[in-house]
Amino acid sequence: MKNAPIRLRRALICMLLLLFMPGCGDQRILEKLGFVQASSYDLGENGQLEVTITMPKADQNAGQRRDVLSLMARTGKEARVKLTRESNLQLVSGQLRNSLFGMSLARKGLLKHLDTFQRDPSISPRVKLSVVRGNAKSMLERNYPNQPIISRYIEGLLQKESMGQNIPVSTLYTFIRDYYDDGIDPVMPVLRNKSDNIIIDGIALFRGDKYIAEIPADDGMVFSFLRGSFKLGELSIHLSEGEPGGDTVMITSIVSKRKVRVSRSAEGAPEITIQVRLKGTVIEYTGGLSLDRPAEKHTLEKQIDKELVKEANEMIAFMQKHKTDAIGIGIAVRNHMSYGAWKQMKWPEMYPTVKVKCNFHFEIMNAGKVVE
Amino acid sequence: MSNSQTESSLPTLAHTLDQFEDCMDLSHREFPNLGVHAVYLNTLISGAKLQNEVFKPLHDLEPDQLTTLFQQSQFEKQTDDKALILGILSGKAAVFAEEQVYLIDVRGAEGRAITNSEIETTITGPHDALTEQVSLSLMLIRARIRSTHLKIVKLSVGEITKNDVYILYIKDIANMDNVQELKQRISDIEIDAVHDTNMLIQLIDDRPYALFPQILTTERPDAVVSKLVAGRVVGIMDGSPSAFSVPSTFYEFFSSSDDYYQRWMLGTATRMLRFFALIVTVSLTALYVSVTTFHYEMIPENLLMTLVESRSRVPFPPLYEALLMEMTIELLREAGARLPTKIGQTIGIVGGIVIGQAAVQAGFTSNILIIAVALSTIASFVIPNYTMSASIRLMRFGFILLAGLWGNLGIAIGITATTIHLCSLISMKASYVTPIAPNQPYEWRDVFIRAPFNLLKKRPTQSRPMNMTRVKPKR
Repeated sequence: MKNAPIRLRRALICMLLLLFMPGCGDQRILEKLGFVQASSYDLGENGQLEVTITMPKADQNAGQRRDVLSLMARTGKEARVKLTRESNLQLVSGQLRNSLFGMSLARKGLLKHLDTFQRDPSISPRVKLSVVRGNAKSMLERNYPNQPIISRYIEGLLQKESMGQNIPVSTLYTFIRDYYDDGIDPVMPVLRNKSDNIIIDGIALFRGDKYIAEIPADDGMVFSFLRGSFKLGELSIHLSEGEPGGDTVMITSIVSKRKVRVSRSAEGAPEITIQVRLKGTVIEYTGGLSLDRPAEKHTLEKQIDKELVKEANEMIAFMQKHKTDAIGIGIAVRNHMSYGAWKQMKWPEMYPTVKVKCNFHFEIMNAGKVVE
Repeated sequence: MSNSQTESSLPTLAHTLDQFEDCMDLSHREFPNLGVHAVYLNTLISGAKLQNEVFKPLHDLEPDQLTTLFQQSQFEKQTDDKALILGILSGKAAVFAEEQVYLIDVRGAEGRAITNSEIETTITGPHDALTEQVSLSLMLIRARIRSTHLKIVKLSVGEITKNDVYILYIKDIANMDNVQELKQRISDIEIDAVHDTNMLIQLIDDRPYALFPQILTTERPDAVVSKLVAGRVVGIMDGSPSAFSVPSTFYEFFSSSDDYYQRWMLGTATRMLRFFALIVTVSLTALYVSVTTFHYEMIPENLLMTLVESRSRVPFPPLYEALLMEMTIELLREAGARLPTKIGQTIGIVGGIVIGQAAVQAGFTSNILIIAVALSTIASFVIPNYTMSASIRLMRFGFILLAGLWGNLGIAIGITATTIHLCSLISMKASYVTPIAPNQPYEWRDVFIRAPFNLLKKRPTQSRPMNMTRVKPKR
């Protein structure tokens, strides 16, 4: 050791000193933390915020598998500071998966509450956001006998439904992205309690950061067709034509491709055509057409197209009426022109009056294993 | 010893006997009718050889035929006193006759037989290993290379012990600069004794203070041959069952002979597995420490509560918990290595059951840590070279410490420091991390993967071979 170079001796001394250093610094030792897995925000009295958090309990012997804490505060982070006083654990938000917002709060605007979500580096941009019909606190507080961990329950529900395209993906990232994009408005799923379960009740449409209107959950698929291209989806259509009472078609393995075309009318106003090409497999059909015959299959395709166009037109009219561009028509229009022209156009004012036409082209890839 | 006698005079019998005073194993036989004396160390010679080569010819001899006998080539005339003493010490018999001295080789030291290789075992391929007796080891190598181009140079090391060191190379492939450099370094060693090849390489390596071994040692003759034909220079020491080859790269320590005996896809997969094992052994326990101490966000939701539950009963912070477990495993390993094989197995059972089961049940450690420690220890044994595997295990403690201090940042610092250290190393004046730096993309196919033989047309550049091309397969 005496002959070792000075550098080596220094390095060894540093290593020895390191041994005494653990314990210093900003540690987050696992068992001393309370993981906020879901949080909810409601509008309280005199403009205050009612914050509720739920975190899992480590002790298996305890009767309840989770703790729910709730109080009034001015902001989310203030609530966390106050809530820490109620717990023996240090509350951390790095495991946050779900955030719920009460309907009344959503009507007032969410952006200022989302500020800490964006600013705090421990919060994942993939936190799922949703609106709760009524009071969000009561949804978190409630015990779901079949679902001991509520955050996992809600996350699983939203994850599965957005995979199947019944609701759009709504995370912190998509909400903020759509908010700051001037050609599209953000959306969120709407949740509600139904006996001992939680059910997806619709899709909340926002203008800016404020809740404006809602699309029923049954129309979620059509909304997805209009919003973008995707693979994998399921759709059940009730055809108004055909036999009395109507036939029902169930289509699965849907591949949907959306194209938005923008043209100019004689006056120079933009006219939009949304072209959706669909491919899918029929797994249920109650009508009388024989799908083995190309001609009759084609007839069914046409019937489906017609039904979808009708529903899409209604939905677009609804959104135009409420001045919310949830499917991003504005993006297509903006991409069509220079940024200067776009700015001059004052799209938000023009949007309700703009002409939108929908075209659906459905193609049955196969009609199931039945051979007639 | 040899320094005391300054005059290098003509050797005399009296002087020789004087030098060997009090050496009970020295034998002195006299043939009075011939005036011949034979002097030898009976611990080193073979009785049968001595009988055949010396006693029998002398026995049947008339005094005037002596000159004719000593003209035979096995009798080597010595005029130097020191050389004579050294000759007797290395197992030759000295024959004093008519004012002349002759040495005759009657060496017959018994060694152990050639056995299976135990440190570097392979499933397929040859199983024999080098032995402590260098003549046997050289035989194993010579028998594998039937070429006059295989050259063997003899050197000596150790002021007192005077061990023989043999340098092997293949003429026209090996770079003579490397041979020269190795010869120079070995003859520059000033030490009283060298006991093993692994000790020798520490005396000749470029960076004595480095963490990693810079010279590869092996006990497999087939590995020695492959190093030789790759243009490297090999050294073998008498009394040691391992050979070393220079220059060596870091990556050589991660390849095994088996890689070449398996089909190439298997060889490739195994090789990748070893580099994966390197990552696991260095970082897995450290990652456990950093995640449980700092980065709770990284834990998947499903694992979170399991981890918290097992951690909640542990009385120590994660860093000390991990150091404790790693220390326990090292204790087990060291105890197992030093004990006789039969007791060594008991250690495994006691260690496995007591430490594994009871420690978790008693709330001493978390079971996830046990998994991490066990996995990283197993991974460390996947690395075929024992010296390298031990170095990496030691390095792991540094990583755990850094992880406990600064979390993932600490691990990143550790990786950076290790990379810098590795890149600063050289082996026989050549870069230790060839073919990454300097970059030799062609050689990657024989380092990170094991490409089919018809694609391995060139020898590695690190040893700067005189002839870069291997013989091209007929295909």
